[in-house]
Amino acid sequence: MALTLPTRALAWCTEALLLVSLPGLDPSQPLSWALLALVLAAALKLLEARRPGERRLVALLQVIAIGLLATLRSDLAGSLLQLATLLGAITALVALDGPAAPAQRLLRRSLALLMAALPLALLPFVLLPRLEPFGQRRGPLAGGTARIGLSDSLEPGAIDRLANEDAPAARVVFAAAPPPATQRYWRVLVHEHFDGRRWRPGSAAAPLGVAAGRVSQLWLVEPAPLLEVPWDGQGAPAAAQPDLQTTARGELRSRRPPTQRRHYRLAEATAAGGAAWRRQPPTPLTLSLPRGGEPRLEALAATWARLPTPEQRLAAAEAWFRRQPFRYSLSPGALPQRGGLDTFLFERRVGFCGHYASAFTALMRAAGVPARVVSGYRGGSWVRSLGGSAYLDLRQSDAHAWSEVWLPRQGWVRVDPTQWIRADSPAPAAPALLTWWQRQWWGLDVAWTRWWLGFDRQEQEALLRRWLGERRTAVGWLLLALMGGLLPLLLALLRLGGRGEGGDPGRQLLARALAPLANLGLAPAPGETLAAFGQRATAARPDLAQPLAALVGSYDRLRFAPLSPARRRARWQRLRWAARRLRRAAAASDSPASGRR
Amino acid sequence: MRFADGSEPAVLRLGLANLYIVPSGFGWLWLGAAALLLVVAVQTQANGPLLLALMLVALMLLALPLTHRNLEGLELRCGQPPPGPAEGPLAYPLQLRLRRPCQGLRLAWADGTALGPLHLTAGTHGLTLSWWPPGRGLHRPGRLRIEVRAPLGLFVCWSRWSPPAPQWVWPRRRPGPVAEQPQPTALGGAAAPAREGSADWHDLRPHRPEEGPARLAWPLLARGRGRHTKVFRDPEARTVLLAPAPQLHLEEALEHLSHRLQLLEARGETYGLALGDGRSLAPGRGRQHLQAALIALAQWP
Repeated sequence: MALTLPTRALAWCTEALLLVSLPGLDPSQPLSWALLALVLAAALKLLEARRPGERRLVALLQVIAIGLLATLRSDLAGSLLQLATLLGAITALVALDGPAAPAQRLLRRSLALLMAALPLALLPFVLLPRLEPFGQRRGPLAGGTARIGLSDSLEPGAIDRLANEDAPAARVVFAAAPPPATQRYWRVLVHEHFDGRRWRPGSAAAPLGVAAGRVSQLWLVEPAPLLEVPWDGQGAPAAAQPDLQTTARGELRSRRPPTQRRHYRLAEATAAGGAAWRRQPPTPLTLSLPRGGEPRLEALAATWARLPTPEQRLAAAEAWFRRQPFRYSLSPGALPQRGGLDTFLFERRVGFCGHYASAFTALMRAAGVPARVVSGYRGGSWVRSLGGSAYLDLRQSDAHAWSEVWLPRQGWVRVDPTQWIRADSPAPAAPALLTWWQRQWWGLDVAWTRWWLGFDRQEQEALLRRWLGERRTAVGWLLLALMGGLLPLLLALLRLGGRGEGGDPGRQLLARALAPLANLGLAPAPGETLAAFGQRATAARPDLAQPLAALVGSYDRLRFAPLSPARRRARWQRLRWAARRLRRAAAASDSPASGRR
Repeated sequence: MRFADGSEPAVLRLGLANLYIVPSGFGWLWLGAAALLLVVAVQTQANGPLLLALMLVALMLLALPLTHRNLEGLELRCGQPPPGPAEGPLAYPLQLRLRRPCQGLRLAWADGTALGPLHLTAGTHGLTLSWWPPGRGLHRPGRLRIEVRAPLGLFVCWSRWSPPAPQWVWPRRRPGPVAEQPQPTALGGAAAPAREGSADWHDLRPHRPEEGPARLAWPLLARGRGRHTKVFRDPEARTVLLAPAPQLHLEEALEHLSHRLQLLEARGETYGLALGDGRSLAPGRGRQHLQAALIALAQWP
């Protein structure tokens, strides 16, 4: 049964879709509050709206809200929801100016309008050069707060219990095979400054220009409170990404607002520039350690300091860690303010990656080996999605901390002391059905993001350069010509699609057949039956008697006689033939040559 | 297009030459929203609001020809407007012929009286518009504005036409004195001999059972005065020749005359009009006679 919804109900449906999209927005974003205000304003206006003009205003408020929402949520689910909401708003607008019609027909009509508008919108979307933001600083933005992720300082001793957060952190698509599981370390922040308890990045690291080769990775990172984004430390930002740069500490920094979902492409570095940060000599900060705060740690390190080379000191440290009964735990309990590392290393011996990386780095510094703590992610699940690309799924629970030590002949070398100790956490369970479905969806999401977010200003520039080369100045003319050619075509398609929506096709055919009679002063009076009109017209114009009788008879039989589908088709043919015959006869009768006007 | 220059065509066919289209107020707001989203898109470098802003502009581009096409080809012609009184809105018939369906059609007179929005299928349609006449006489309803805003309300496409068929408007009804010139009846006297009728009863006679209860005088029966049948007789209709009361202002007198004519017609009496200058409308009865008398009032000099 066809459902006829009043325009008010359609507007409320659209409002409900907007409300569904609101949860999960970041309250620290001013745009989130603007969006909330718009949705509320639309709801209040809808409550009191009576006239069509007021309801149009509600639809417009909803459309603006969809635009703001598209800024804040660009994932596949969010985009689909925004599309459905836009369809609802346009349907409410179409319903305001048209006859009451079943919701299905209204939706079809609105969808046809949107589909016709889409090519016209996509042309400038692809071809029109994009503007840079007005009045924004081109540099690191003030770090906003975000929901999840790593923080810019590491203080394992203050953490009593680490929440095992399973929220998504990032997804990576590789052009070739992913790295082996043991090599999956994704660095984010490098902490060089240590005050005895807390690790910080230290002063801003200088940018490092690295020549990039072929694109090898596509990263999609969830909002996080840092400007630094994860990478493998091997390659370099792909060309045409000025928003992204590597630093001398081996961090990858993005200028995009950290409260937005970020995406970037990494390329294989050229042989000369590969991992140039590894060869950046250590600063004095990487040897600094507050003296006297951890006496037992310093005493132990002093024994290693007598060894002649850093490699030997490192080997001694590994041997010592492996000998001690250390255990891995996410709930080790807080350490005392003073002598926290001593308590961890010599008394409790229970902790998570942050404790081990922190204690090991401090030991190395005390032994005279430049060292620093790196935080980022380790591992990740390799997901073969059915609907999209295979990708590596990184969760917040994959967050990890490790150390780097400076070995003069190798540069900065990664050392993960957590690997030396025994884990007491259970092995991860096989993915449940829900998780499987979730990962398939994320695969689609990655594919969508790759296509949707990937087409940014730089990508557009590259595309235009590829397509038009030196003739890029002609893009305006090309756009005008394409739109001018496309508009009539789309209008014709819309007319073709809307032909069946004018009501009963039999009535339409009848109206077209009777239209020429109006020139002869013959038109059905309101309330007059077709048979009565036929008799009246025949009396007025006996020369049209035959085609009129044929039309009236065919129409009545098609309309009222019980017919099989085959007979019905045949009757349709007869009606079309009768209509054509009447039109010709009326035209002949109306012509000046007939002399009957 | 000619604007009220007294030579309006009898049939108006809407096309490129006489259709106008401009963005509606909502259309300007729509463009403003597109501009706002464009600014958001540039500042955030996000694709979503950029595509949505371009979609809004594209929908506006599409709405322009679609709204124009809604009215293009529409034919309007006048019907035969029936005469009517000046005391209320008059019905003005129009005939519309459409080659294709038209959505959201609105027809409005200059005084704001409007009909619509109408959603019409292809074919011929008879419409009746109401309009308020300025007074008695032969009047045209004035300028008609024909407009549509469908499909999205972003543009208003409009045309104007002054339907050329005039309509007779007689004076409004108002009880009051009129000048009467009684006419001799067929029997030759002014006395009104009775005739059988049913307006009121004037006598009683003993009730016969076959007469049924309808004419039984129930109040007398209730008082115990026996069964009586009511005998009905109407007074013989008079024949009068009416003229405006000379002591009144002409328009007021004509209004009283209009009332009296319709009253007499309702009573079934025979009446005529003394038109002045020795001319007269011969006494008569019936709807056509009444209409002729009222039109005579409408065109009273």
